[in-house]
Amino acid sequence: MNANVAILPILVPMVTALLVLLLGRPSPLRRWLVGLSAVAQVAVALGLVAFTYGEGALVLGLGGWSAPFGIVLVIDLLAAIMLSLGAITTLATLLFGFAELPHLEEHPLRLPLVQFLVVGINLSFCTGDLFNLFVAFEVMLISSYALLTLEADDWDVKQAFPYLALNLVGSTLFLAGAGLAYGIFGTLNFAEIAQRSSLLVEDPRVTLLAFLLLVVFGIKAGLFPLYYWLPNSYPILPSPVAALYAGMLTKVGVYVLLRIFGQVFPPELFSVHTTLAWLAAATMLFGVLGAVSRNFIRGILSFHILSQIGYMVLAIGLFTEYAIGAAIFYVIHHIIVKATLFMVGGVAVVINRSDDLEKTGGLWAVAPILGIVFLLQALSLAGLPPLSGFWGKYMIIAEGVRQGRWVLVAIALLAGVLTLFSMLKIWNGAFWRSGAGVPLKTGDRRWKPMTAVTVGMTLLSLGIGLGAEFILQIAQEAARQLVDRAGYIERLLGTMGGVSA
Amino acid sequence: MIWETAVLVGVLFGSAVFLLLRPTFARILFGFILLSNAANVLVLAMSARPNGKGAPVVLPGGAPPVDPLPQALVLTAIVIGFGITCYLVILLYRIFLDQRTTHAEQLFAETGASGPREEAES
Repeated sequence: MNANVAILPILVPMVTALLVLLLGRPSPLRRWLVGLSAVAQVAVALGLVAFTYGEGALVLGLGGWSAPFGIVLVIDLLAAIMLSLGAITTLATLLFGFAELPHLEEHPLRLPLVQFLVVGINLSFCTGDLFNLFVAFEVMLISSYALLTLEADDWDVKQAFPYLALNLVGSTLFLAGAGLAYGIFGTLNFAEIAQRSSLLVEDPRVTLLAFLLLVVFGIKAGLFPLYYWLPNSYPILPSPVAALYAGMLTKVGVYVLLRIFGQVFPPELFSVHTTLAWLAAATMLFGVLGAVSRNFIRGILSFHILSQIGYMVLAIGLFTEYAIGAAIFYVIHHIIVKATLFMVGGVAVVINRSDDLEKTGGLWAVAPILGIVFLLQALSLAGLPPLSGFWGKYMIIAEGVRQGRWVLVAIALLAGVLTLFSMLKIWNGAFWRSGAGVPLKTGDRRWKPMTAVTVGMTLLSLGIGLGAEFILQIAQEAARQLVDRAGYIERLLGTMGGVSA
Repeated sequence: MIWETAVLVGVLFGSAVFLLLRPTFARILFGFILLSNAANVLVLAMSARPNGKGAPVVLPGGAPPVDPLPQALVLTAIVIGFGITCYLVILLYRIFLDQRTTHAEQLFAETGASGPREEAES
């Protein structure tokens, strides 16, 4: 495959965003353009998965400058998987948004900003350079700040402040970390850092830098003491955008944790991995307790993001090839399920006028299909077999048991039970209870196409659960490519003869 | 030079954190500006000791140049930091207009957490 294909995941959304901006006012034409572009992005990303599964990483030196001197884009199987998940989630949430609002009521900047957000997300998946990763994060975060406040009302807008504040501190620390990495290693290229850091394992500066980056990516992923920005800011977003955020944004943090600690930093940094595992356990527990304490659908779901992040990061913290494969599988499962649940919450808001569990009710009688979708995805999130969440949790817990980390395993199981409990709270409050506090808007026809999108995502998620064998094979291959440092270095620097000063 | 730079970076980071933890918007804003500049100075310091080195242009017979890469990085970072500072100013101003306060504690005083969301339209 021509290496230039590697630029497409960034180029396509960027060109789309610019075209949509040129078209100005919301119109059906803009929607068709964005929708077709999203379909094209899914196709490109799935093609990249198929290619990298067989052939390994695709490397593109931008502007013809080869690594380590130029900026490189590297798409290995993990990056390709993340690109496809991002593309699928974007497509689904766009369709959901089209169903929710007629084009005349759409904010003219929403579609371009979503595309710029996708540019940032995709660039963070593709980049092979620490500073370029910083730039990608900034592209993503600036779009996300703008989207967060774009349609927020007077009361909501203050919730954007903690989001902005914590992420600004994170960005600054990331910049400082990138500078220090350059100072220690004399390079910013992932492959060269991997090469040189393995020679500097004993150096305390490397461990310190690793902890600094752990804080940075911990903020992005929403790890335990650093997650304050998330649970109150996501509910102020319009529901299609909230579904995209819930699916993708924190997972970019998880991806970068996988990339940096799984591949770039030496595998001997045990103190970092142990810290990751314990922070993950705390995240799981506090996230799910937060979810139990909330009383509106999107608030509960926002806290669940954190709790689920805990499982993925726990798998990274256990740090074997098998555990990393499990983390990748969990990410695949989680993105689809979480985005769907946020969309179900969005449909509930349309029918019930509110997602306050005191006022909702009667959804089961009106929309049984929505109930089935919710039940399948909620049970999958809680980890009941044979749904997709079960396999992810099973592998992570099996690895924990194998390593004899009993306390971590116990916390993971407890968090699973509490997840089920808080999901039942939504089920009882919104679906099962007959008397809604306010009359249902059954005349509103928007919910049918909206539900159709969630059905599509649920089928995908069921496919992941029932075809777990196949998905697992891909996840394990991605993990193999990730931990194969020598192969990665060879791929990137091979054109240089594999040597560096 | 390197010790002076280290102390400068430390002082900048320290005062930035102090300002960030104040409750009023103006101090928080200045805290962010200081914080991003602290990181910029830190990155710039990674060019290593500039003593006796020339500008990063290759001249025949010239002194060995300083490492130009951190300067390129810092340029990018300054642009990004400037954009985000602008956004922060506008956001804080909008919060001030909507909530009539410039005090973070008053901002989150009544409810503390975000309540449920109602759909406003008919």
